[in-house]
Amino acid sequence: MSYVVARELTKYFDLSDPWVVRKITGRKKQILTAVDGVSFSIKKGETYALVGESGSGKSTIAQMVSGLLRPSMGSVLIDGHDFHNNNIDGSSLRNMRQRIQMVFQSPYASLNPRWKVGDIILEPIRSFQLIADRQEQQKRVAELLDQVGLSPRDINKYPHEFSGGQRQRISIARALASQPEIIICDEPTSALDVSVQAQVLNLLKELQHEFLLTYLFISHDLAVISTMANTIGVLKNGQLVEEARGPVLLKNPRHDYTKMLLSSAPDIGSIKT
Amino acid sequence: MSGNREMVAPLLEISRLSVVLDKRHQRFKAVDDLSFRVFPGEILGLVGESGAGKSMTGSAILGLIEPPLSISSGEITFDGVRIDQDASSIRGSKISMIFQDPLVSLNPLRKIGDQLVEVIRTHINISKAEAFGRAKTLLAEVGIDPGRINAYPHTFSGGMRQRVVIALALAPEPALIIADEPTTALDVSVQAQILDLLKRLCRERGTSIILITHDMGVIAETTDRVAVLYAGRLAEIGKTSAVLKNPRHPYTKGLVAATPRIDANSFEKRLFQIPGAMPDLENIPKGCAFHPRCDFASTQCQKQQPPLFEDRSACWLSNEGSETS
Repeated sequence: MSYVVARELTKYFDLSDPWVVRKITGRKKQILTAVDGVSFSIKKGETYALVGESGSGKSTIAQMVSGLLRPSMGSVLIDGHDFHNNNIDGSSLRNMRQRIQMVFQSPYASLNPRWKVGDIILEPIRSFQLIADRQEQQKRVAELLDQVGLSPRDINKYPHEFSGGQRQRISIARALASQPEIIICDEPTSALDVSVQAQVLNLLKELQHEFLLTYLFISHDLAVISTMANTIGVLKNGQLVEEARGPVLLKNPRHDYTKMLLSSAPDIGSIKT
Repeated sequence: MSGNREMVAPLLEISRLSVVLDKRHQRFKAVDDLSFRVFPGEILGLVGESGAGKSMTGSAILGLIEPPLSISSGEITFDGVRIDQDASSIRGSKISMIFQDPLVSLNPLRKIGDQLVEVIRTHINISKAEAFGRAKTLLAEVGIDPGRINAYPHTFSGGMRQRVVIALALAPEPALIIADEPTTALDVSVQAQILDLLKRLCRERGTSIILITHDMGVIAETTDRVAVLYAGRLAEIGKTSAVLKNPRHPYTKGLVAATPRIDANSFEKRLFQIPGAMPDLENIPKGCAFHPRCDFASTQCQKQQPPLFEDRSACWLSNEGSETS
């Protein structure tokens, strides 16, 4: 049972000069194909990881699946519903947005420094009008903080009072607030130290089991991906060059690019003697 | 340690170095009683999490510590000469530095050839034409077409720019290069090329390298020996294979176990978690700095700072372990 389906996702970006400049200089239009016909599907409760180097289109795909960016061609189906369909009405769009949340790379840039932690986590609850009662709202925020391993007393603190790992926990609590079914994690630990990264990765796995979450996990780090992914898709220049179940891909990579990535990724398991 | 080490004189010796931060009439130790040696032709890794004092150590060696930071005690000896008071004679000539971001280390308004010639002529007394020839040789050595000597930095990709930066670092023919996170901003395939380049230079020219990184994978694949830093102190030092395969300090053990591995079985396993986070400078615990996060901490660990046992591990337990075995 596929829960998230991406069909022939394609995204063009128009990098051309303005029309007038083109007419004067005689330059042609410049179209960048960031994502080129990528299809994949994710089963409910599983993690699908996209790995690739910078410019491979990982984050563009994440934004299209989350609904932040419209694909130029192709579609995203969430539980059978087309996200980017023009005929979709407002209320079902809101409903779908509530089911998909994102955790971003930098916990320094993705939290508003002027907002208290409680307000940051409360925003999705208010926005989707999930809980009306003030006291119930506070209770829910305290519960969320507890779920991500923070103290309910942190509710009135500001983001700068937390370390990077704790901030990423706040981001995760905010993502969980609307009770989503899908969380898109775009390089969630690449700004964190190793020991903190382990805490956050373990937390993401625990939450997945507890709430049967479906993850689309974006990373450049094959070691992180091998601990997280049920299925791995390898992206190169906007195209999916190989896709397989995690252990299969790691043991028997087929595509030359995957082999190259695996051989060049630094791995603590390959200590020279 | 090993017998041959005693025979070879160290190129760089850091002995009981402390760097302090003066803030509101209080003193905080950013680097605390750090000692290690770098031998000719070896790659020594300095690994630790943010705030461990890795980069600070690099800056101290080059004499780049400025107020409110200062070196409060200890000695740095390079090739038999004390450099902790005045490093200007060796900075950039005998010891050069490679920084993380190649975009920031290059002047965007000057051709790479001119930048290379300037560095060469600052340290070696030769004519402009000779320096130009030398610059071309250097570019070839780091894998850049010497024909691009008149190109500007922005016309190069990130990996190519880092090669230019390495060429700049090599220009004065240094005996030691301090590379501070040289590949952190790069893609894995490019990272592998740059690390191979550094290893090759080390082998062919006999240059020593101090590689500062947070990445245990890079340490495993590149370095001969590794020093693990925690809260400004040396936690463990030794041959890379020994330290990573049989870590003695609980922090090193935790760090190794917390690092994800590229392995088909990784998905089934839960990553080891070290509870908590590294303390900041102003709140370094008494005794062993790691004891609040350590599963094996005893009362001795809370009170007394452990020395380095057997030139390897600064942990009271590693001392007990070696006595019984």
